[in-house]
Amino acid sequence: MREALALIQASWRTQRSYRVSIILSILSLGVTVLPVYFISKALQPYAAASIANQGGNYFGFLVIGFIALIFVSTTVSSIPDAVGAGIGNGTLEALLSTRASIPSLLAGMVGYSFLWTAVKAVLFLALAMVLGLHLSLAASLSGIFILVLIVLAHIPFALIAASLVLAFRTTGQIPSIVMIASGLLGGVYWSMQAKIIPPWVHAIGDYVPLAPGLRALRQTLLTGAPLSSVMPDVLLLIGFIVMLNAIGLIAFVEALRYARRTGTLAQY
Amino acid sequence: MSGLAARDDASAAHALSDPSPAGGAARHAVVLDGISKSFPVRRTWGEMARQPTLRPRAPVLQNVSLAVAEGEFFGLLGPNGAGKTTLFKMLATLVLPDSGTATVGGYDVVGEASKVRSVLAPVIADERSLYWRLTASQNLELFAKLQGMRGAAIGKRVTEVLAIVGLSDTKEKIVAAFSSGMKQRLLIARALVAQPRVLLLDEPTRSLDPISARGFRTFLRDEISGRQGCTVLLATHSADEVLELCTRVAVLDHGRLLATGTTTSLARDLGEERYALYTRDANHPALAALVQRGIVGALAVRGDEDGWSRVEMELAGGMERASQVVAMLGEQGVVIARFERVPLPLADLIDRIVRRSAEGSSNA
Repeated sequence: MREALALIQASWRTQRSYRVSIILSILSLGVTVLPVYFISKALQPYAAASIANQGGNYFGFLVIGFIALIFVSTTVSSIPDAVGAGIGNGTLEALLSTRASIPSLLAGMVGYSFLWTAVKAVLFLALAMVLGLHLSLAASLSGIFILVLIVLAHIPFALIAASLVLAFRTTGQIPSIVMIASGLLGGVYWSMQAKIIPPWVHAIGDYVPLAPGLRALRQTLLTGAPLSSVMPDVLLLIGFIVMLNAIGLIAFVEALRYARRTGTLAQY
Repeated sequence: MSGLAARDDASAAHALSDPSPAGGAARHAVVLDGISKSFPVRRTWGEMARQPTLRPRAPVLQNVSLAVAEGEFFGLLGPNGAGKTTLFKMLATLVLPDSGTATVGGYDVVGEASKVRSVLAPVIADERSLYWRLTASQNLELFAKLQGMRGAAIGKRVTEVLAIVGLSDTKEKIVAAFSSGMKQRLLIARALVAQPRVLLLDEPTRSLDPISARGFRTFLRDEISGRQGCTVLLATHSADEVLELCTRVAVLDHGRLLATGTTTSLARDLGEERYALYTRDANHPALAALVQRGIVGALAVRGDEDGWSRVEMELAGGMERASQVVAMLGEQGVVIARFERVPLPLADLIDRIVRRSAEGSSNA
């Protein structure tokens, strides 16, 4: 854990030296929230019926969807990106030569990305609240718990993409595929219960981890529903975590072994 | 000595000179026993289409065995592609061997990799592996923490190693502003921060100017090996470095260990004696006659200094034979201003070992 914190601190020290990047990143939040606000107001009459059990407010529906999606994006891209960058600049070899364990190193290499995403999410929510979003703050702990589960359910995709980077120097487009599937089938922009969504799309959506996660997150944060009432979706998420993480971990360990066998840890 | 080329790799290396660390009874810091490694050969699309099932591999290390004593400064010499870096990466647990065993500090590099990493520090990666937007001290603090150091000990050790590598004055400067030499020193400092028992240095002076390189060698000898007592394995192309620093040396070529021994024993065993004479008449028939009669090897005329030519020759038989040659030439009227023994440069020595090995392989 201390090793991970040391790497996160190093990432923060590195990133804060890029001042313009940090300022632009924060400014872009405002640029994102405003169009979402106005578009959601325009579409509210059409969307209200299909999102009635998730608060009924399309602006809140979209904001929670976007926040979950940026966490998914950070999850599926940060690990392969960090591994790829580490291979490219030689830091991965240097890190693997230390006594730190591989889970600590991975956590440290991506920890800053998650913290920065969390900061952006809080700012995004704050801006949305200024524009009229109503959140059940009492349910915020449950919301954070569900968000952590969403992240954990997507880590296996990141590990598989990172494994492909280790072994073959490609992510296999896994982050893009997960992002597209999550965006279109996970219920980020529209409710999967909407009548215009064909039944076969519903069926595919059941296999997208973000779908149950978002349902639970919205009901918790937007309607103040207790965790017990969203337990079926939470259990579904936990099921994804248990099933997929084993695959992701095996893939990563085997890819690392492959890279050590072929001597390609530092060859991009 | 002349039988070197005909022997197989391991036996040749062992037969040439004592393969065990100087002193014989010393404890071993590093032991390699029959280490082999090959990597897949990258093929073109056409080759893959023609022979899809073929999986060609290129040998990088072939049955390499050697032992390095604790506290020893050991040189690894060889041309590009000899397998030096792969060997180091294997010791650093970054590459797995195909066969054979390797131990560092008594720990197996495959089965006890984390323990190996607790006693060994490699300086294999180049300067890109530093965190360029962090200061020198921040880089070292990071790696001290990754090596398991805690609390006030970190700051103390960072200050120490920065002083050791001569970067105390620039510890708050970001690495991006460092010169290549300073980055190289920081890489060494990073390796030293956890007080390793074994240090692997892969061409550490390659990006240093000659003056910095000399200072760096002094630092390695006096501080790292002398005061810190580290076992150092140094892979280099520089004969100067090996002669100045190492007690023993191994010569690798195409993954094969061609020779191990002290630098002086290598020169004695493999380097045919070479002499230089200074004469006004490099084309005197008496000189050519020495070659024709097989008394000396080929002559090489090098340079001209105020009308005096330097003629180099290979001459077996020691000083006794050399004095006879001088007498013979004098009788023939060859005017000799100076006659001296020329030590065989280590680079020539390696070249000779490699060439003999290649000749041996083709004869076999």
